[in-house]
Amino acid sequence: MELYDYKIMLVDDEPELRRMVKDFLVKEGFRYVVSAGSCREARAVYQREQPRLILLDVMLPDGDGFGLLQEMHKESEVPVIFLSAKDEDEDRLHGLGLGADDYITKPFLPKELILRVKAVLKRVYRVKEEDKESELIRLGVCSVDLGSGLVRWNSARENVSESSKTKAQELTLTAKEYAIIEKLAANRGRIVTIDALCEAVWQEGNYGYENTLIVHIRRLREKIEEDPSHPKYLLTVRGLGYKLI
Amino acid sequence: MKVRSGLPGIRKALYYVMALMLIIWLTLIANVILFVVIAIRYHQETPEYVLGGEVMEALTLTENGYELSVPMQTTLTQMRQWAMLLNEDGEVIWSYRKPVEVKESYTRSEIARMSKWYLEDYPVYLRVWDDQIMVVGIPKHSMWKYNVQCPTPWIDYIKNIWIWIVLFDFSLVLISAFFFTRKWSKNREQVRIEWISGISHDIRTPLSMVMGYSDALQNSENLSVEEKRQMEVIRHQSIVMKELVEDLNLTSRLEYSMQALRVEKLRPAAVLREVAAAFLSDVSEKEADIDMVVSGQAEEIWTEADRQLLIRAFRNLLNNSMQHGEQQETTVIALRMWKERRWCCISFADNGVGYSQELLNQLHSRKKKKIVQNIGGLNIVQKIVLAHGGKIRFENNKHGGSFCEIRLRAYSMKSK
Repeated sequence: MELYDYKIMLVDDEPELRRMVKDFLVKEGFRYVVSAGSCREARAVYQREQPRLILLDVMLPDGDGFGLLQEMHKESEVPVIFLSAKDEDEDRLHGLGLGADDYITKPFLPKELILRVKAVLKRVYRVKEEDKESELIRLGVCSVDLGSGLVRWNSARENVSESSKTKAQELTLTAKEYAIIEKLAANRGRIVTIDALCEAVWQEGNYGYENTLIVHIRRLREKIEEDPSHPKYLLTVRGLGYKLI
Repeated sequence: MKVRSGLPGIRKALYYVMALMLIIWLTLIANVILFVVIAIRYHQETPEYVLGGEVMEALTLTENGYELSVPMQTTLTQMRQWAMLLNEDGEVIWSYRKPVEVKESYTRSEIARMSKWYLEDYPVYLRVWDDQIMVVGIPKHSMWKYNVQCPTPWIDYIKNIWIWIVLFDFSLVLISAFFFTRKWSKNREQVRIEWISGISHDIRTPLSMVMGYSDALQNSENLSVEEKRQMEVIRHQSIVMKELVEDLNLTSRLEYSMQALRVEKLRPAAVLREVAAAFLSDVSEKEADIDMVVSGQAEEIWTEADRQLLIRAFRNLLNNSMQHGEQQETTVIALRMWKERRWCCISFADNGVGYSQELLNQLHSRKKKKIVQNIGGLNIVQKIVLAHGGKIRFENNKHGGSFCEIRLRAYSMKSK
């Protein structure tokens, strides 16, 4: 089953908002999006459609989303993302405490919503995006395949010596290099801080690895950049972190 | 994760307590004055009854028996009093205006009883003269007459502890008043917070649509360059509104200490980097640049803080620099972080126009004045830092541009 085949149910009392979110999801490629405007309607739609993910407003005309979540979780462990106009910590923590998978505060940007929906689907149903493209990071003449952990060079590198030219067509990434490029690719175009990278690579106790990180970055550049001393894709943002463009 | 609530509410409640204490004391004093006035007034109105002694003096023993002087007879009649003389056997040997219900002879126990209480409901006063007893009665219901007594140790004890009793009463009043007023002021604050929370709630849903559609339209291919630019303005401004709505709610909650701090151990350097990276990622290179330098020691600092609030404070400072930047020029924000004894110091400096004098005055004044100017974001920064027990200072650079220094309590930890 593809990521976009999962049925999503949207519960919100504001028809315009329902329409907007539905449009965004459909535009993104989700094939089955159903919606409901009240608790009562939500129960009926839920029984009929059996959605695999629910976007749930907290304040509904005939009850609240918290109660509805508990009700639905009695029957199945369907993942729920709250979509709420309440931004107080208590509400957020209450929602997450009840077993919601995420809590989005209104107003939100469509991109943010889509990203979170996808993240929850991937996590809960362990689906990979059907799109193999996303696992392939294109960096000019080379590309990094996250599926196999290989760096592929389409044409021979100009700067490497004649002898290594032929064997350098395919390079293997070490586990740490893989973790770094994966983290950077997931946030492509955005700055990823040193701390976030260290956490991605060493999980816990992420402090004190900064110098080691620099070494790994240099090795990674040697594999993916045409000229590692003047990187074009993996850029350093001084004092903050790195960015993959 | 610990939850800590702020303190400023207590100070406010203390004012109420003091006001209430004053009211209580004034009421007490007013009562005493009233009592004295009533006592004086009724003292003047109360008839001065003749008690035992004078009657005895006015009584003389003649050949015809006892004889009361004429002035005393007039007085007793006017006062509606009566008198009788008992001999040592308890028999009445003389009387004047004695009511009929009053007996002619008394046992010792009856005499003892009437000396303390009443005789046939008449308040009576006894005076012993040689072996005779003079009994003077006054009208029924004219005098409240009881014996009051108390064991000496009690009196001694009370003499010793009365100051403590007063202190105890005092503190009891203080505590009860404190809780009462605290609850009362809390309720009022609650109403205000809920009102603001309601407004911010109602704005969110419509704003979702403005943000969502403008974001979608911005990438539409059917729009002209100018229309796209306009759409970008709408999108950007809707994000500004989102921040304002969030600030509004948070301000009111911090103001009344309703926002509990969810403190956790964190490295300010990492948090600051995270905020700066996100900020830079969202603006174009032409718009802003950040120059961040963390001294080696500061990198190791840990502190206890509410992560979300700290992020909010840092972000507001960066946003502020962005807003006050000169047009057509890249805003350069210098972030410095260093350690000074037990403090983790963070400074934000930019090359913009700086803070206005009015704004600086407002930020530094201790009194909560009306907001004369929109200082929204910075107000929150200040509240957040103070809520964490930190220090904050706003000023302008010599070369122009704003400068803000934050100090947070720090402790070093080598590992995790």
